[in-house]
Amino acid sequence: MITVRNLHKWFGELHVLKGVSLEVKKGEALVIIGPSGSGKSTLLRCINLLVQPDEGDVIIDGVKVNDPKIRPEWVRQQVGMVFQSFNLFTHLTALQNVMIGLTKVKRLPRPEAERIARFELDRVGLADKADAYPAQLSGGQQQRVAIARALALNPKAMLFDEPTSALDPEYIREVLDVMTKLAEEGMTMVVVTHEMGFAHNVADRVLFMAEGVVVEEGAPEEIFERPQKDRTKAFVGKILG
Amino acid sequence: MTTARFGGHLRISRTFLLRVVFGSIGAGVALFLVYLAGVFGVYDLGYALYLLPPRGRALTTGLITTLGFMVVVMPLGFGLGFAFGWARTSRAWPARAVATTYVEFFRGMPPIVLIAFAFLITIVVFRGNDRIDIFALATGAGVMALAAHSGAYQAEIIRAGILSVPTGQIEAAEAVGMSRGTILARITLPQMFRISLPALGNEFASLIKDTSLLSTIGALDLTFQGKNLSAVLAVGGGNLDLVIIIWAEIAFLYFVITFVVSRALQAIERRFRVPGLEAAQL
Repeated sequence: MITVRNLHKWFGELHVLKGVSLEVKKGEALVIIGPSGSGKSTLLRCINLLVQPDEGDVIIDGVKVNDPKIRPEWVRQQVGMVFQSFNLFTHLTALQNVMIGLTKVKRLPRPEAERIARFELDRVGLADKADAYPAQLSGGQQQRVAIARALALNPKAMLFDEPTSALDPEYIREVLDVMTKLAEEGMTMVVVTHEMGFAHNVADRVLFMAEGVVVEEGAPEEIFERPQKDRTKAFVGKILG
Repeated sequence: MTTARFGGHLRISRTFLLRVVFGSIGAGVALFLVYLAGVFGVYDLGYALYLLPPRGRALTTGLITTLGFMVVVMPLGFGLGFAFGWARTSRAWPARAVATTYVEFFRGMPPIVLIAFAFLITIVVFRGNDRIDIFALATGAGVMALAAHSGAYQAEIIRAGILSVPTGQIEAAEAVGMSRGTILARITLPQMFRISLPALGNEFASLIKDTSLLSTIGALDLTFQGKNLSAVLAVGGGNLDLVIIIWAEIAFLYFVITFVVSRALQAIERRFRVPGLEAAQL
């Protein structure tokens, strides 16, 4: 579904991604872990072209998307993204947040868009919050609306950029539950997270990144219980305490 | 976006209001053209005023003139402010350079000097042309100068508003596949207006009273009428009580105009209010 080959990204002098390759099959959940500054977020942003890669290929469903001939807007409709800080549109209600991509990007008629949006809100358990504005919702609720907003466009895959890092502890569970359900339903997912429980239970594979390269990759139990590389051992040791 | 059916927070949609705002810019331009038509002698409003007693005539003429300046200068200033404020945040450096030059130039000079320059340059350029009312045309140039001055201030207000929209909002809009135009219209502008409106209200209130500077080039506005009547009354033996009353009347008229405009802007502000994002009640 998603193939990344030898991806490089520089921000000025800073070489953030140094030849990253990865493969996510259809229906697979890949969790990316690693210390901050290792390039995880940049990697996710390169997949939906929020950041333009400098070298290498991003292939989604057989199409090389980092190609001047391909409109980034089209690519972003294929891949949903959920951000650490939710980024709900503050001036729109939950329902409008979910609808706006349908009406303004996919150009669906309003009743159709509203039907889909209400369905997606229901899917994340927030049907009763349709008319609430983001500032009236808890962090967990906001993040679930953000997931619904991404799902509404019926993406081929979902990218999660530390979706629970900005949440108060009591709201983390509800977001992870929604993500777990999504994975079980067969959604292709790439998740950057520090939630080791989630990685352990939900991920098909875990990928450890450090300083812009993939250090180690494997099944969750391999990475967490039998890491091969020293840097993985050190990181996993710190995280699992 | 139709908001009417999603709960009762907003009765008038923001998109509608944006249309009103940009419609008013068009109206300002249109009114200026109507004014120019008067300059070229297409119509003459003045005659009806001669039916009033002298003091009433003076103040009515002044009020009409001041209101006329206001309805032209406010939308024009806003239009300029919006265009240049947006250009100030552009990714294209030539746009930024032009906008920065505009802002620094017009903000760096007293409006009264700008008005005098615009007036005099127009007089010099059209000198000897007896088919048009050069004085009225030059007054129009003064009005434009005032609008340009206010536009420079409003550009900075708009720029601050645009910059205050968090980058995460833009990133999220990009992530759902919105084009740049859609992001501007649906995400940046509504949030920018919500943040900029109080400051714009301040600028409008100040601008209304700045139209009084046009009296220095002989425009027959409220301030000019006040100065004129005072001078006449002083010559007639110094009826200072009446002079004070006249200035009080003029002050009252300015106050009413400014008050009405402020209330209108507050109503617009309420429409842009987002539940949960109100300022803290101290």
